[in-house]
Amino acid sequence: MRLLWKLLRRHVSPAQLGGFFAANLLGMLIVLLSFQFYRDVRPLFGREDGFLKADYLILSKRISATGLWGETSGFSAQEIDDLQRQPFCRRVGAFTASQYRVSCSLGLQGIASFGTEMFFESVPDDFVDVDLSRWTFNESDPMVPIILPRSYLAIYNFGFAQSQSLPKLSEGVVGMIDLGIQLRGAGREERLKGRVIGFSSRLNTILVPENFIRWSNERFAPGSDNTPSRLIVEVGNPADDAIVSYMDEHGYELEDDKLDAGRTTYFLRIVAGIVMAVGLLISLLSFYILMLSIYLLVQKNAQKLHNLLLIGYSPARVARPYQLLTIGANALVLIMALAGLCILRHYYMERLWAMFPQMPDGSLWPSVVLGLALFAVVVMVNVVVVYRRVMKIWNS
Amino acid sequence: MKEIVLDRILPCVFAGREDISGDIWHQKVVLERGRVFLVEAASGTGKSSLCGFLMGYRRDYEGSILYDGRDVRTFRTDEWVEMRRSHLSLLFQELRLFPELTAMENVEIKNQLTHHKTKQRIREWFDALGLADKMDARVGQMSFGQQQRVAMIRALVQPFDFLMADEPVSHLDERNADAMRDIMMEEVRRQGAGVVITSIGRRMDLCYDQTFCL
Repeated sequence: MRLLWKLLRRHVSPAQLGGFFAANLLGMLIVLLSFQFYRDVRPLFGREDGFLKADYLILSKRISATGLWGETSGFSAQEIDDLQRQPFCRRVGAFTASQYRVSCSLGLQGIASFGTEMFFESVPDDFVDVDLSRWTFNESDPMVPIILPRSYLAIYNFGFAQSQSLPKLSEGVVGMIDLGIQLRGAGREERLKGRVIGFSSRLNTILVPENFIRWSNERFAPGSDNTPSRLIVEVGNPADDAIVSYMDEHGYELEDDKLDAGRTTYFLRIVAGIVMAVGLLISLLSFYILMLSIYLLVQKNAQKLHNLLLIGYSPARVARPYQLLTIGANALVLIMALAGLCILRHYYMERLWAMFPQMPDGSLWPSVVLGLALFAVVVMVNVVVVYRRVMKIWNS
Repeated sequence: MKEIVLDRILPCVFAGREDISGDIWHQKVVLERGRVFLVEAASGTGKSSLCGFLMGYRRDYEGSILYDGRDVRTFRTDEWVEMRRSHLSLLFQELRLFPELTAMENVEIKNQLTHHKTKQRIREWFDALGLADKMDARVGQMSFGQQQRVAMIRALVQPFDFLMADEPVSHLDERNADAMRDIMMEEVRRQGAGVVITSIGRRMDLCYDQTFCL
């Protein structure tokens, strides 16, 4: 092998090899970095709420000018069925609203501090991702668990409390406050206790367990119309274009930011895809440079290769030094690209952590696997091409 | 391999020519192992082409060449590799040495493939052919006659059933030609091989079993 290499390394151009090396390193680094960055950043856009399961959307009908004059804004059973049949839709649940008057007073240790009129809504329990033993209502021990929109707390803390010189409340403190709930309707009036068990930044309603709404509606508004005005929909992929077009077609509105998050993820994917494509293009071009220099090398050494074949060397053996050269160069590129990736990732992850401390520390392995896969493809193509060139000399 | 049969072969460039005569083209020729053949030819009569046909690197001929009854046109790449490594050895007229390697390296590059001779034995041959002081010299800096001897040593560091030498002594003086013949025939006898020597004038001084004119 030593002699063979001594013979065949003639005409190896350091400039061409260096050009390939630099270009391929750049290309590989861009591919791996965009892939890794996409994987690292993606969780930021798809964060779980903590109370609601994965990919859901909240749907309501657009309120038109005519709607003000009494057109129904609820969803009929037929419309729900139609939605259920859509391919993007996994499950549909209806929001059930309270059909009676609710007022609520906040108080610490039984002393009411302030009260407000409000409403309740529920969604089917299996859309709510909390311990179901906490998320239930029991008539014999009437305590109503409630999930509040986080924005309500912000409004209180930064709007109301500040202007009224009231203490600011943390989420933990709110959880300890007894809520006095007064329900009125159908000639009845009852007081219950409520407890905020959590806050949701996605859900724009005051959520209570489904069995409580059913019980209270029967009790305080028997026979009322329960057409849901909002639906909760679990979808496979919130970035699916079909969702948007379906919504537009039927005049529905998506209420929360989930679709925006989906879209952002979608754009992130596109941007990462473009960057990756650029990286791949650079890699491809550098690979082309390598192939050209190997072609040239084989061509310049054609006579020597021919002589080696004539004295009993097999085409595979003659091709091997060039194959090893390309494998070595590509392996070095891969190692350096991975090292570069580690350094750059360390740099950007530190910044991201400073901004989003809760961001999970993703793994580098998928990028390593991607790098190895690219390496394997490039090496395979190289090995085949070099062998075929040598076979061409054999047959000449 | 016991015999080579040339069954009415003719280089394609001679196809259609009326003036083809001689003992090989268009004839049936049998070359047996253990015998010594001389192919005498004038320049341009296809002597080196014949070597190319027999080594499998040229296929531009009509007729068939049979190795132990098998048409060489049916040989796969790996069969030709095996043939060139272990059954047929050729000293090329144009030598086909590697000028950037030393004389010893030119021999070693073949011996590394076959592991047929010890380094000691190769040194002895260099010595016998008067090249002891040239072993580490680059072939590109050697005379054609010296290169011819290096090429002969390279041709001998492999097992073979037939050894072909295309004008092996064209640039050698009598003493070196005799020395080359001696080591060549010693190895040929040791291996029980057949020999095919070509010549356009000066021939190796040997006891030939059969002579063909091209």
